[in-house]
Amino acid sequence: MITSLRRIRAIAGTTLIELARLRVFYVLVLFALVLIVSSTFLARISFQQELQVTKDISLGAINFFLSLLAIVATAQLLPRDIEDRVVYSVLAKPVPRFEYILGKFLGVVGLLAISLAAMSVLCLVVLHLREQSALHEVNRQIEQLAPDQLSSTVRVIHTAGVNRDLIAALVLVLAKSAILAATTLCISAFATSNIFTITAMAMVYLIGHLESIAREYWLQEHVAGWPKRTFLALVAFIFPDLQAFNLSDQVIGGVPIPAHLIEQLLGLAAFYIVSYILLATAIFYQREL
Amino acid sequence: MTHTAIHISRVTKVYRTPFRRRATVALRDLNLEIAPGEVYGLLGPNGSGKSTTLKIILGLISPTRGSVTIFGRDNSVVAARREIGFLPENAYFHKFLTGAETLRFHAKLCGLSKSKTTARINELLAAVGLTDAGDARLSTYSKGMLQRIGLAQALIHDPKLLVLDEPTAGVDPAGSRDIQELIASLKNRGTTVLLSSHLLTQVQEVCDRVGILHRGRLMREGQLQSLLGIENQTELILENASPDLLDGLEQQIASTSARLIVRRKPQASLEQLFLKVTESTEE
Repeated sequence: MITSLRRIRAIAGTTLIELARLRVFYVLVLFALVLIVSSTFLARISFQQELQVTKDISLGAINFFLSLLAIVATAQLLPRDIEDRVVYSVLAKPVPRFEYILGKFLGVVGLLAISLAAMSVLCLVVLHLREQSALHEVNRQIEQLAPDQLSSTVRVIHTAGVNRDLIAALVLVLAKSAILAATTLCISAFATSNIFTITAMAMVYLIGHLESIAREYWLQEHVAGWPKRTFLALVAFIFPDLQAFNLSDQVIGGVPIPAHLIEQLLGLAAFYIVSYILLATAIFYQREL
Repeated sequence: MTHTAIHISRVTKVYRTPFRRRATVALRDLNLEIAPGEVYGLLGPNGSGKSTTLKIILGLISPTRGSVTIFGRDNSVVAARREIGFLPENAYFHKFLTGAETLRFHAKLCGLSKSKTTARINELLAAVGLTDAGDARLSTYSKGMLQRIGLAQALIHDPKLLVLDEPTAGVDPAGSRDIQELIASLKNRGTTVLLSSHLLTQVQEVCDRVGILHRGRLMREGQLQSLLGIENQTELILENASPDLLDGLEQQIASTSARLIVRRKPQASLEQLFLKVTESTEE
């Protein structure tokens, strides 16, 4: 049977409404509070530092809240539908289980995208206002600055403010949270409780962030024997390297991010998302409802 | 070529608990055939295998052995479910959606065109008596209303086969009678209905054939008349019969080899009394 985009869209749309009505957007209020409270403590440092710290806090908070949202929102979707028997009336219709899983995933991604957009707009507005205030201050002091000193100061402010790399970093945060949502969906396809799914995902999150260290260890051939190396290779293959998607340090430090790196990371995210969705579908096909 | 609506051949279902040797046999060698346009009642006590049978038909679980076809198609094929409408027992649905939104969602799942959907939603809300509650969220619905909206979603794509798991559970007698009438009208239109119920009187009123499941086995099956009729007894119900006529009849019977078992006034059922009282109050 041909996959129906209309059915997938219907399931995704209902999932998005379900999550929205669970008031998960309260996370955004928390984010706004973090940003506002932190910005009040940044008044006394230099313009460049102020912009960098604002960026650091914003990216860190967006990363944290979006990851949390991806795991918690996804973990309860399948168990709730099974418990409420909603799944019976849906799957008794001509809906393949693959479409059901994909629809649920896309609903969560929709929620993550809306949340990211709202948090990003807030973050960009705060950064833009701070950048403008810094430029205004420089203009005020223009007579005291030499021409080369002036252009260097303006360049530093622009680099520390809103730029293309910041947008790229935000897109990668979305890609990372989409991977987490796909992984959570995969675990919840066989899990019998939300607590199991969330606990397992906490471990995946931890492994995903420490994986790069393990990989470096594995690459040092003289350190590990083949059993350890095989085990670490398996871990590296099964668990996504979540730390790779964290480019905050480069963005804050003003180090340019090459376009090919962003493309590679997006490709890696697509690989993991497709793999986990296929695995979740295969598990869900075997599940007796 | 005309196919049977449902054909179940030697279906066995065994539930195994991981890491334990014990297994539960929910169905044993079940054979069942339901003809198109027939209303079939599946009866049985709790744990007899009714829900397992319905879930296997719908492809929600797989049989350990045996096969099922729906209008000639293997039930594991998703396309076979185009012809099926299903009302689960105590269905909850998405409580955050309104009645109309719920039907729209299910219409999209069934691939109904946008132009047909709105008209069909209005038609079904009227058919189940929820026109005024169509814009209210399901979280505000009573159990009976949820059952009615469940019935409406099962009918959204005008299926050829309707599978109902305890359709009148939690519904008051008036609502229950409406559902019975709806089943009767669907039967007149040629829809096949398979229903499972504990309410034997209702099954008796709407079903052409019944099957009785017990411990996963189909113990008895057949047409109601042949299952319930007592071959050597006859029932006469008279209206406005005088006591003299009745005494004369009794004497005539006594002079033959026949035996009068009981002479009494027929009684209305409690349901009939309830409907009579509540309907007269409404008027």
